[in-house]
Amino acid sequence: MPEVLEVSGLSVDYVLDRGDVRAVDDVSFTVGRGEFLGIVGESGCGKSTLLFAVAQLLAPPARVAAGSVNFQGTNLVGLTDSQLSAVRWRDMSVVMQSAMNALNPVKSIGAQFRDAMRAHGKPAKDEIEARSAQVLRMVGIDPVHLHSYPHQLSGGMRQRSMIAMALLFTPDLVIMDEPTSALDVVAQRSLMVQIKELQLAYGFAVIFVTHDMSLISHFSDRLMVMYAGQVDELGATRTVFDRPLHPYTHGLLEAFPSIRGPKIPLKGIPGNPPDMARLPSGCRFHPRCPHAVDKCGQVEPDLVELDEVMVRCVRRQDGSLPVTAGQEGSLSR
Amino acid sequence: MSGSSRTELLQAEHLTRHFKIGGLLSRRTLHAVDDVSFAIGEREIVALAGESGSGKSTVARVLARIYKPTSGEVYFEGKPVSRIRSRRDRLRYSGLVPMVFQDPFGSINPVFRVQHGVLRSLKLHRPELPGRERAAEAARVFEAVGLGADMLERFPYELSGGQRQRVGFAQALAMRPKLILADEPVSMLDVSIRIGLLNLMTELRDTMGVSILYITHDIASARYVADRLIVMYAGQIAETGPIDEVLASPRHPYTQLLLSTVPDPRAPLSVAAETDRGEPPKVIDPSPGCRFRYRCPLAIDACAQVTPVLAELRPGHHAACHVAQKAPAEAVKAFQ
Repeated sequence: MPEVLEVSGLSVDYVLDRGDVRAVDDVSFTVGRGEFLGIVGESGCGKSTLLFAVAQLLAPPARVAAGSVNFQGTNLVGLTDSQLSAVRWRDMSVVMQSAMNALNPVKSIGAQFRDAMRAHGKPAKDEIEARSAQVLRMVGIDPVHLHSYPHQLSGGMRQRSMIAMALLFTPDLVIMDEPTSALDVVAQRSLMVQIKELQLAYGFAVIFVTHDMSLISHFSDRLMVMYAGQVDELGATRTVFDRPLHPYTHGLLEAFPSIRGPKIPLKGIPGNPPDMARLPSGCRFHPRCPHAVDKCGQVEPDLVELDEVMVRCVRRQDGSLPVTAGQEGSLSR
Repeated sequence: MSGSSRTELLQAEHLTRHFKIGGLLSRRTLHAVDDVSFAIGEREIVALAGESGSGKSTVARVLARIYKPTSGEVYFEGKPVSRIRSRRDRLRYSGLVPMVFQDPFGSINPVFRVQHGVLRSLKLHRPELPGRERAAEAARVFEAVGLGADMLERFPYELSGGQRQRVGFAQALAMRPKLILADEPVSMLDVSIRIGLLNLMTELRDTMGVSILYITHDIASARYVADRLIVMYAGQIAETGPIDEVLASPRHPYTQLLLSTVPDPRAPLSVAAETDRGEPPKVIDPSPGCRFRYRCPLAIDACAQVTPVLAELRPGHHAACHVAQKAPAEAVKAFQ
């Protein structure tokens, strides 16, 4: 798979009066053509900041402190807005969290599509209309809704029209930031299936950010788990689900109750993600980790490949965490 | 259901809530809740599940006396709620049946310390408590929901979403409630934080004997905490019964649809072909017939003519479905 996106050593700082806070710390990953990469983590782990950095949408006080974002051979970091404009929306589009707020409430859906197309090209009027109707049909919405205003559509339809808008130019990469979190289960499920079908039909790559790991289990090819601005685990989705190596990944997997199988009391992950301005010493997860030993508070673990999965855990790397530890639970039974 | 012999804490009988929509002269009516009857016992967590627009929040608001029912009655400890007149009785009822809201960021006043809400509830709903004991009582309820007493002095912005939602429960607990109406209390929280709140709900039931109406669209979390399940669709109850029994053998096609949407990470990687694309209808001036029939693969002629009513299929397990009421359990498989 040739890579569409290659992110290497990317760090993002928030420049604040009381000092810089590093929200994304040395993150590297690639996305292949037509690949579906899932990024999971709790609120505040830096996943949205990372997406904004990839799409070059960061606004002060955030800034890219180090690293590069290579999109189809061009490093996007440091490009001017007019240079980026050639790439944005045509080759890479973004679907934001909560379509409730992302659509302009005083403009019809069609007018917003028209704006997006005019901003990134000089298409003819009938061309705009034909393409707008076509993408709406692609996401299963009747094109009469081009004349509808956002408040006339249900939450699921608004979210689907956001996705339609992202597909106006058949991009190579679509970045999605929790597009389903404002929807309820049935709508969520049908939207995920739709995204996957569109992806298979049109061959674009997807980066999908969510805090709900169970959601993407059936849809993503690879899974990246983030904690406190760093990558904790990165590997094939199936492998990570079947055999989570990092205790944090395991905690996330154990955090949702099962609908089948016996009922067992779950604990979730105790505590909260750390304050990025006051990170704990050593492993950033060790204050919440059920398997932490003294060493975890002293040594900062590196991201190391272990059985085809990248993992950042000292105890996993030195083998002192038995493979079975932390793998009994609702999922792996 | 209402005819059971044990004493129920709360009973809703033929609860109906309609909203007039459109302009001044419009005669169109939105049937948010239509002829819904159920009961909540003591020390019981009842899950009320359904999609957005199914009427589940309207039910909670009628129970909380935010809306008056269009018709029907709610009985609390055997007494009709509509008879409540005096300010004292109103405060007493809202103290016994408090609500916990969905949005932990919008439901706490940001300019006050978090103790403000708790102290205010104590002052209003438990006037017999002397002023100097209020702080101690506030610390006690904070302790009960797993927050340290030092949290009382914090401002909402200093708290995480999970902690704020615990403050919401503490506020409810301060009033010594019998029944907490929890409207999607965890849906805006991170998955990793949700379990803690769900565990808190079972703990409140087990140690303090509080009943909870848990409103959610997440069937898996409902199964984790609840004793009984009520599934609502388009303003009506589709199916109800002991939660394990209903989820083990769901009889209503809609319950089966809800179950099929729960992601199961252990299942093989495949994109299900028969995924439902429908949306719950807005029930405006409905004609008779089952409201789920447009999405139901099993619909028969009767479904378009007669509105199905709840019938007991097994002890305590009711479903409102023509097909399920006629056919044996194995034959009704709409969604897997």
